[in-house]
Amino acid sequence: MEYTSLTVKEKALLDSLKDAIGAIDTEIAKVVAQKILDAKIDPRIALKYSFAEAAEIVGAKFDCGELFLPHLVMAGDLMEEVGAILEKDIPPNEIQKKKAIVIATVQGDMHSVGKNIVSTMLRSSGFIIHDMGVDVPSSAIIQKAKEVKAEMIALSSLLTTTMPYQKEVIDDLVSMKLRDQFKVMIGGGPVTRQYAESIGADGYGKDAIEALEEAKRLLL
Amino acid sequence: MTRLSFWEILKRSKMGPMLEEKDFDLLMFKKTQDLQKEYGIKYDPEKPVDIDGVQADRIYQAGVELFLDLGTYCTTTKRIIQVSAEELKSEIEACPAEINLGQGSDRVKMSHRDVEGNQDVIVIAGIQTAPFSDGEMMFKIYKGCAMGRSVDGIWGGILLKIEGQHDVIAGAPSEIYQYKKTAEILRRAVAAAGRPGMITINNAPTNPATIAMFDENLGLRRSDYMEVTGMSEMKVAYDDLNRTAFALAHGVTIHGTHSSVIGGFSATPEGAAIVSVAGSLQLIVVQKAETFRCGAVESRIKSRATRRNLWVASTAIQGISRNTRLIVDGSMGDHPGAGPGTKQYLYESAAGHVLSTVMGAHSTEGTRKFVVGNVCNFGTPLESDWMGEVCKGAVGMDREAASYLVRYLLAKYEAHLMNPPEGETFEKLFDQETLKPLPYYQNLYGEVKEELRSQGLNFII
Repeated sequence: MEYTSLTVKEKALLDSLKDAIGAIDTEIAKVVAQKILDAKIDPRIALKYSFAEAAEIVGAKFDCGELFLPHLVMAGDLMEEVGAILEKDIPPNEIQKKKAIVIATVQGDMHSVGKNIVSTMLRSSGFIIHDMGVDVPSSAIIQKAKEVKAEMIALSSLLTTTMPYQKEVIDDLVSMKLRDQFKVMIGGGPVTRQYAESIGADGYGKDAIEALEEAKRLLL
Repeated sequence: MTRLSFWEILKRSKMGPMLEEKDFDLLMFKKTQDLQKEYGIKYDPEKPVDIDGVQADRIYQAGVELFLDLGTYCTTTKRIIQVSAEELKSEIEACPAEINLGQGSDRVKMSHRDVEGNQDVIVIAGIQTAPFSDGEMMFKIYKGCAMGRSVDGIWGGILLKIEGQHDVIAGAPSEIYQYKKTAEILRRAVAAAGRPGMITINNAPTNPATIAMFDENLGLRRSDYMEVTGMSEMKVAYDDLNRTAFALAHGVTIHGTHSSVIGGFSATPEGAAIVSVAGSLQLIVVQKAETFRCGAVESRIKSRATRRNLWVASTAIQGISRNTRLIVDGSMGDHPGAGPGTKQYLYESAAGHVLSTVMGAHSTEGTRKFVVGNVCNFGTPLESDWMGEVCKGAVGMDREAASYLVRYLLAKYEAHLMNPPEGETFEKLFDQETLKPLPYYQNLYGEVKEELRSQGLNFII
């Protein structure tokens, strides 16, 4: 079943779900999700269409200052909850695996604000996020990425004296012959695209919006 | 009145209610939004300055209520540190209304300032925590900053290479070594400027390197201050509290900083103003600060002088100044989006520093472009002079005049905040032989100074 093959009524249900998620209304979203299942609409279409469109809406509202960080957290929670309702009607082997990202502020750096915004933004766009917090040693980041089978490592640094740890993670991945297993995206106040390229990072985001676009480009 | 013991705070950090960090964040958001409605706090972009103090008083009361209701989240123990209303009242009353910083003829008195007050404003300028290319360049720039007559102290930065080739990395041995050496250069530079007792400040990424800089002969002194930071928003980690522990044992004044985040968990400008007050209370109660920076930061725009931020920080500062005898630091113009050598840098800096001063704050957080990255020598003594001249010129100005000036300045730079002029490094702006500003920069400086004088800023230097 494809989106284009749905009836007008069925499409309206998917739009209702998109709108409910965009408005971060968990109760309505749960009710609509159940209606979608009751109407025998393939839940994979709802996940693909309604969730993706809603994530765009939420991101755009955050970008223009209409929504704030807590709304992104709530949108992420909502999508997990409603996603679970829809996924119960999908055979386990057909559930599309979400991409996992390990994110951290590197060793010696206690700054969390930018990293938290990126982390929340990625989560509300459907990625599985393993946020390790701040001041995290390179070895622990790599260990976590291996453990959760992450597809990407995202590294934040707000200080010129902690930027070398972003390079260290990449160098360690190379030494451990793991470089091909993970995309690496970096960001933070003093970090530039040129620096990202110079240390061999795959991606760079100057802010949360750009980081999200970069993650989509690299993983989807 | 006595202050709550630091050890009691630590005890509470281990015995307070447990909560997941995410739940604390969302609770803060909800409470802040509720308080915003309950107290009728409203940000009006047309009025970036609160002239009558009505909003400021409401924000102060809401900030007190938030701090008492929510407490401070300790990320190390995942517990909430709570205090009672009586303890908070006692803490506020026991905090000094006056301290001394610096030594000898360079000693200054930093006291509580009133809104529109005539009390001296203390200015600690310098190119705060920025990278420098080499020791000689660092010395020259610091010396130039220390020679500014309007400046009472200077902040240091960091040399990114040891022996010109080895990277300085936070948490590695190179960090301790280099920050200690940097503090020595800073001390030698102020002495060479003829101000050996001048306040010098610096803050390394990690505790050991920050502590290593304290040295009565060639480093940071007990007569300077130690900066402790609260995590945004309304959080603290043992890493932060380690700095407090050292400062208490060493006998150095503790200066705290905390920023609420507009667009973060405090969400709206109104919420960020409430959290700015609550975060300030955290600094004195939990982190034992005697002076503190009350402020906010935008989540998207890299400048402290946005319209929203000017309202948030200045109204929160005004609320604290009107309702307590605490010593407040504003430093609202410390980090312009524009770079050195541009008119916009001077405009942004002036808007923030005028408001800080008029609302009853000092400005002790240095000055530099918001994002300097790893570009070395990205600042000159002239921006320090500007910070000092603006702050001292704004003493005694009333809020009506400040409001007029700030709106005039916003009209000059606001449209360029998302894409500000990059600016130039010291090498491009100063004569390397005479160490004086190049004519272009000196003329630009003089032009903006005359422009602001014509708009009501009474420069005294």
